[in-house]
Amino acid sequence: MGLISGMLMGIVFGIALMAGWKHMMRYRSNKRIAKAVDIKSLSSLNRDDLKKICGENFPEWISFPVFEQVKWLNKQLSKLWPFVADAAEAIIKESVEPLLEEYRTPGITSIKFSKLSLGTVAPKIEGIRVQSLKKGQITMDIDLRWGGNPNIILAIEAALVASIPIQLKDLKVFTVVRAIFQLAEEIPCISAVVVALLAEPKPRIDYTLKAIGGSLTAIPGLSDMIDDTVNSIITDMLQWPHRIVVPIGGMPVDTSELELKPQGKLTVAVVRANNLKNKELIGKSDPYVVVYIRPLFKVKTKVIENNLNPVWNQTFELIVEDKETQSLILEVFDQDVGQDERLGVAKLPMIELEAEISKEIELRLLPSLDMLKIKDKKDRGTLTIQVLYHEFNKEEQLAALEEEKRILEERKKLKEAGVIGSTMDALDGAASLVGSGVGLVGSGLGAGAGIVGSGLGAFGSGLSKAGKFMGRTITGQSNASKRSGSSTPVNSVQENGGAKPL
Amino acid sequence: MGFFSTILGFCGFGVGVSTGLVIGYYLFIYFQPSDVKDPVIRPLVEHDSQSLQQLLPEIPLWVKNPDYDRIDWLNKFLELMWPYLDKAICKTAKNIAKPIIAEQIPKYKIESVEFEELTLGSLPPTFQGMKVFVTEEKELIMEPSLKWAGNPNVTLGVKAFGLKATVQAVDLQIFAQPRITLKPLVPSFPCFAKIFVSLMEKPHVDFGLKLFGADLMSIPGLYMFVQELIKDQVANMYLWPKTLEVEILDPTKAMMRPVGIVHVKVLRAMKLRKKDLLGGSDPYVKLKITESKAPSKKTTVKHKNLNPEWNEEFSIVVKDPESQALEFIVYDWEQVGKHDKMGMNVVPLKELTPNEPKVMTLDLLKNLNQNDAQDDKFRGQLVVELTYKPFKEGDTSKDLDNPLQKAPEGTPPSGGVLVVIVHEAQDVEGKHHTNPYVRIIFNGEERKTKHVKKNRDPRWDEEFTFVLEEPPLKEKLHVEVLSTSTRIGLLHPKETLGYVNISLADVVNNKRINEKYHLIDSKNGKIQIELQWRTSS
Repeated sequence: MGLISGMLMGIVFGIALMAGWKHMMRYRSNKRIAKAVDIKSLSSLNRDDLKKICGENFPEWISFPVFEQVKWLNKQLSKLWPFVADAAEAIIKESVEPLLEEYRTPGITSIKFSKLSLGTVAPKIEGIRVQSLKKGQITMDIDLRWGGNPNIILAIEAALVASIPIQLKDLKVFTVVRAIFQLAEEIPCISAVVVALLAEPKPRIDYTLKAIGGSLTAIPGLSDMIDDTVNSIITDMLQWPHRIVVPIGGMPVDTSELELKPQGKLTVAVVRANNLKNKELIGKSDPYVVVYIRPLFKVKTKVIENNLNPVWNQTFELIVEDKETQSLILEVFDQDVGQDERLGVAKLPMIELEAEISKEIELRLLPSLDMLKIKDKKDRGTLTIQVLYHEFNKEEQLAALEEEKRILEERKKLKEAGVIGSTMDALDGAASLVGSGVGLVGSGLGAGAGIVGSGLGAFGSGLSKAGKFMGRTITGQSNASKRSGSSTPVNSVQENGGAKPL
Repeated sequence: MGFFSTILGFCGFGVGVSTGLVIGYYLFIYFQPSDVKDPVIRPLVEHDSQSLQQLLPEIPLWVKNPDYDRIDWLNKFLELMWPYLDKAICKTAKNIAKPIIAEQIPKYKIESVEFEELTLGSLPPTFQGMKVFVTEEKELIMEPSLKWAGNPNVTLGVKAFGLKATVQAVDLQIFAQPRITLKPLVPSFPCFAKIFVSLMEKPHVDFGLKLFGADLMSIPGLYMFVQELIKDQVANMYLWPKTLEVEILDPTKAMMRPVGIVHVKVLRAMKLRKKDLLGGSDPYVKLKITESKAPSKKTTVKHKNLNPEWNEEFSIVVKDPESQALEFIVYDWEQVGKHDKMGMNVVPLKELTPNEPKVMTLDLLKNLNQNDAQDDKFRGQLVVELTYKPFKEGDTSKDLDNPLQKAPEGTPPSGGVLVVIVHEAQDVEGKHHTNPYVRIIFNGEERKTKHVKKNRDPRWDEEFTFVLEEPPLKEKLHVEVLSTSTRIGLLHPKETLGYVNISLADVVNNKRINEKYHLIDSKNGKIQIELQWRTSS
């Protein structure tokens, strides 16, 4: 009797114990999960959430701008700045100098930094925004403002004139930097970073130029030339859709998806212009049109002398990399003895075009693309063009890339042989060979392509430039402990010999 | 009889309890699912006031305290990256654990141990605010408030004696407030040499540990005990002032401090090529050390000489003998116009044995590009003698770890060395010009820093030493910021931008003081001065 009742009591006790334990388990587990949920839901709050939590006592110091403020980062940055500036100076010198060389306008024979110090004012990060626009990618926009006091002295050698030191003063940079992180399933989980400046709002880089021990007017058009060089570098290298791709983590990853590559082909026929402005004292203007999508790709029509209603009927093919954001720019110039004068400019956003449909468009010429700079509302005439956009399929894209590779090799040889000094020279090849000196766009664009020797015409030479640019990938910069940025973009281009134009 | 039945009763109870436990186990626990579900997260707007009340203790610090900054962008970044991080970390953890397990299990007669499940869950760690501290020292201090209440699932399957047991860890929660200090700051990327991490408070750790599906951590008492044990262990290791130190760069190298001196004797050159139309060339040698901002040094010009003898000596400071190199360039001097380059060569410093003179005969090259086909021409030779003298070991590394050096030998026993480091000034402004420099007057001795041109926030970082017989308990240091006009003129040649008198007794007591002082006779000017008192004992 005792045994059975004992056993029964024992069983009941045992089961009760287990039930209690289970209850305890569930209680603790629920508590932990509830906490996890709370913390998760508090990890990113917006104004309404906070209002709901705080009610009446809403903290006044909190605001929720689109770009989240990062006061702490700015504090750290200003403290760190003297050291960053020191470290960055050498790297900037090494990596930017070849770039300047590459992009310089033909009027300038050499640009070098003779002094570079970044000054004492640290850049300020106005805000950071993180989004995920595409699966497997994180997009981070950094609103960067730098009104610094750097001391940059450029040693510029212009054609026929000895080297003059030019000081770049009051440099101001206002831009939104977009960094796209490509995620991967290996530590450090980021396989590549794409860096670009957002085109909208347009990056603003202001500076004043001052010649030391002389006057800028000593060389006519010099400050324009410098502006032009700086502008080409920024718009053609950094401004979205152009980007710099930095592989990270040392593992071989396919970054071709991230790179900018030919998306399609735009066939532009420059038909005629009407009612151009007369800029010449004797006779009429001698107009020609410069057509480009990227500043490095400029192609040019022939000059029609003494005509305000010229008919060119010339056809060009241009490569389109990003239909959504790129635009076709047409500039009409008047050929002159000194500097060619601009008669007007027109812009055609690519997004307005439909694929495979030929269209004739009449564009109104404007004095400048920057709406803020337009003073007069005078009529500058119109330009009529015919455009056809063709989207590449896979094979055509590959063929375009193959072609680039081949031309790239040829151009490299030519560069070594010293026929062409830089890509900008090549654009103006004939002019720089003859040494006809100072001209912004110069003359003989077609001839420049002829010198390339392949007879592929302007389209080919433009393409190869694209290839050259796209073949440039910064490698190895990810290694944080690397002391100097010895692997600058241009170095890597020479190392891989442009064999990888992607 | 009663006694006997009581015994039986006890035995029965014992058997009953074990049976009951087994029945209860199967009844309540065994059939419980062991997988971890993703918790349902409702948007805050849908919460009622009661559940909001529950949230209150977890409110992020940035809401409560104005000195904490919101870092939701980082949370968002982490959240987007988390699935990838999860996979990467788990993969690495498995790979690391495998050899360790393989090594350990034969000792314990266990057949196999393997991860049945390993995931960190869907909930990423979150930062509930970031606070940074600004000090006068060369360091960055930040204190993120880190909370990770995750839903990881780590299931270990252990096989031993033909039986299989599973151990499962779930619902790991770690709340900590680490202090991350980056120091010293150095002028090469990533701009800091070491990371120090320590915890400001004991971390909160909570988790569930299931053995055969039963959570051991929910046994009252045991959980408390384990939690305290873990807290104490971690606290013993990392609770401030104990720190975890991670070295990023070698600080001596990163600081770019001089580590030695190379003595260069430019002896002569032979068979240089003629560059001038009339007569020979007028050669001189320019020498420079790479990766340095120091100006290059030049020999004298030997006129009309193609086999010049210079025998001139130079001393150049070396910062990194592994990577730096000496560059020799022979130029042809010209009265007018650009000096022609006659040839060059480079000697990497690692080719030199320390403290051993080495005479080298260098072939002059056109440039350093070895593939350059045009470079076959003979351009003459240059003979140099190089001696690399590294500083004695410890001279440089010591003062990095400990800014308080001892006074050098030869200082009087009762006295010492007063070191004044003028770091920077802020908001100094002159009426007519602001080209500030600092004048220090101490015991009638006067020292000056360099001039900084047109700058309201100049940075000097210059060090001055005064050797003293007695500790300067009653003396004062006079620091004055002055500005001189860049133009030579009688109008406003010199201006005082502000001054401050610092009493030195505090320095003697504290050994080292690094502070910002408000300048007298200046609107908002401040100057940062570091003072050190070094004694021989």
